[in-house]
Amino acid sequence: MENLQMLFMGFSVVLTLENVMVTLLGAILGLIVGAMPGIGSLAGVALLLPLTYKFNPTTAIIMLGSLYYANMYGGSFSAILLNIPGDSPAVMTALDGYPMATKRNRPGQALFTANSSSFIGGLIGMLILTFMGPLLADLGLKFGPAEMTSLLLVAMTSIGWLVGESPTKGVVLTLVGVLLASMGMDTLTGSPRFDFGNIYLLGGIPFTPFVIGTVGFSQVLKLMEERNKKVEANLNQKLTIKGSLLTAHDFKRLLPPAIRSGFMGTFVGVLPGAGATTGAFLGYAMQKTFKSEEPLGTGAIEGIAACESANNAAAAGAFAPLLALGIPGSGTGAVLLGGLMMWGLNPGPLLFTTNPDFAWGLIASLFLANILTLIIAVGIIPFLIQILTVPVRMLIPIITVVCVVGGYSTSNSMYGVIIMLLSGVFGYILDRNGYGVAPMLLAFVLAPLLESNMRKAFIISNGKLDIFFDKPISAFLLLVLFAIVLTPVIKFILRKAGVSKKK
Amino acid sequence: MQTKKITSKMLIPIVTAIIAIVFIYFGITKYGFMHEVRGPLPGFFPTIIGFLLLALSVLAFIGSLKEESPGFPVENWYPALGVVAIMLSTLVIGMLPSLALFVLLWLRWFEKFSWKATLIGFAVIMAIVIGAFVMWLGVPFPKGFIYNLIAY
Repeated sequence: MENLQMLFMGFSVVLTLENVMVTLLGAILGLIVGAMPGIGSLAGVALLLPLTYKFNPTTAIIMLGSLYYANMYGGSFSAILLNIPGDSPAVMTALDGYPMATKRNRPGQALFTANSSSFIGGLIGMLILTFMGPLLADLGLKFGPAEMTSLLLVAMTSIGWLVGESPTKGVVLTLVGVLLASMGMDTLTGSPRFDFGNIYLLGGIPFTPFVIGTVGFSQVLKLMEERNKKVEANLNQKLTIKGSLLTAHDFKRLLPPAIRSGFMGTFVGVLPGAGATTGAFLGYAMQKTFKSEEPLGTGAIEGIAACESANNAAAAGAFAPLLALGIPGSGTGAVLLGGLMMWGLNPGPLLFTTNPDFAWGLIASLFLANILTLIIAVGIIPFLIQILTVPVRMLIPIITVVCVVGGYSTSNSMYGVIIMLLSGVFGYILDRNGYGVAPMLLAFVLAPLLESNMRKAFIISNGKLDIFFDKPISAFLLLVLFAIVLTPVIKFILRKAGVSKKK
Repeated sequence: MQTKKITSKMLIPIVTAIIAIVFIYFGITKYGFMHEVRGPLPGFFPTIIGFLLLALSVLAFIGSLKEESPGFPVENWYPALGVVAIMLSTLVIGMLPSLALFVLLWLRWFEKFSWKATLIGFAVIMAIVIGAFVMWLGVPFPKGFIYNLIAY
């Protein structure tokens, strides 16, 4: 009950003209960025980070949260109409969305199914977040430096080790992110280190230009390969809102998978390293075990509902560890966390008690964003084809300019542009070689916290490692860490064993 | 014996290994590792991470020997060259005119859009830059050498 009261208090924070307007703006931008193939939520949030400088922290995070959330809706549009997922979580949506739009000739209904399921999944995720967030924060209050060190190691390793094509590459980039973050000032003593005599490096690598470069500008370089691709919608009819409405029977079909995937997606979102993409995959896989009126993969409403609900629920669920423990579950979460830190807020167990306006305001804003995004997502159905077919060739100079001015505006100096350019080129080379940059971003944000907790733990224990094993929570988390590290090794052994058996 | 050409796949772990060695060296020699009374020193954490990175870079390098390296088409670097050009021309004509020139030249000359499409794209991007960054955020963009010469 207390949580609901706090949620209502959060609504009183959100329901100001300024906050409603930024939620609306975030929802519109999120839908557009999500719908355009090749940009994605990570680049979208990174590119818009400088625009939030003038807001107070609550308003700023409300805008970014709304943008991130609306992105999950937008990703499905191009998946359904063009068979090109706007973002990785929408990959599964294309499996049934595109056939429903083209073979079954029901593009509007496919979009409406995706929108309705996203709304239901998001709503379930937010309700669970409302109750689980403070519970997680209470648990977090029991964490000392040793427990926090172990938890941060689990979070960073799980993303580096489990996400991407190679665990080694993921961990290499995680460690590079940690080292880059250690440049500038020492977290405990404040003395300069690894500045190599450069006055600019004394303040460390600035977060915003670094993120804009690694995910935004590197994306521009990648888009160069797609600039001559012609994007055309293979539709036989004009999209209208009236013609997109679902029948009562359609709605009956989408409801059970949307509810099931909503619950499952939320719990997937809470896990570090899993996120919306895994949620969507698991949602679709789960639907395969249930009955669908039409076979999955042929344009079944159940298929769209299962993955769209799961990815939106996962996006909402990911806010629980972010707010309550200060642990983001994905690259986008890391950018949001970096933004929070930039505005002087420290997400973690104390956030719900020291900054309740902020924490509950953000949760309430997600509910508001869910409603507003649904309304806008339905409202823009007639204009979707025009939005989706904006040529990539037009987007390249536009994003480049946003990257340059975004990099410059952080420090009002060319240093920001140089960092943006270098990290963009670095990010592009890494990406082309199969090194995903998300683990590096996460490590860059979490490294100062990890270092200060680890050093405090060693100071308490007089330099002994025992402290990490003596405390039950820390020992348990280290066991989890051990299991995570072993997972790819076991998978590799099993794969080898399978191959030799076949031979 | 056949020698293998160094590819970007191999180069990345070599670079990360060099980064690791630099952090280990400075971590131990300049910033210190552990003090009996004060506990871990500023070099403690980066040194540990440096050793881990060095070990994993060796593993990644061994793995890279079996992998095919991707190509980097020259055209893909044009936006990066564009940013360098913007930075250089900012020194002379200022940042806003440089950005405007970049968008116009890119859309009309490089992408060969019609004047109508070029001007639409130009209007959109300049509205974002001037509306959001100049008017809303009040970012003082550099005015360049020529402006400073005329103004002062």
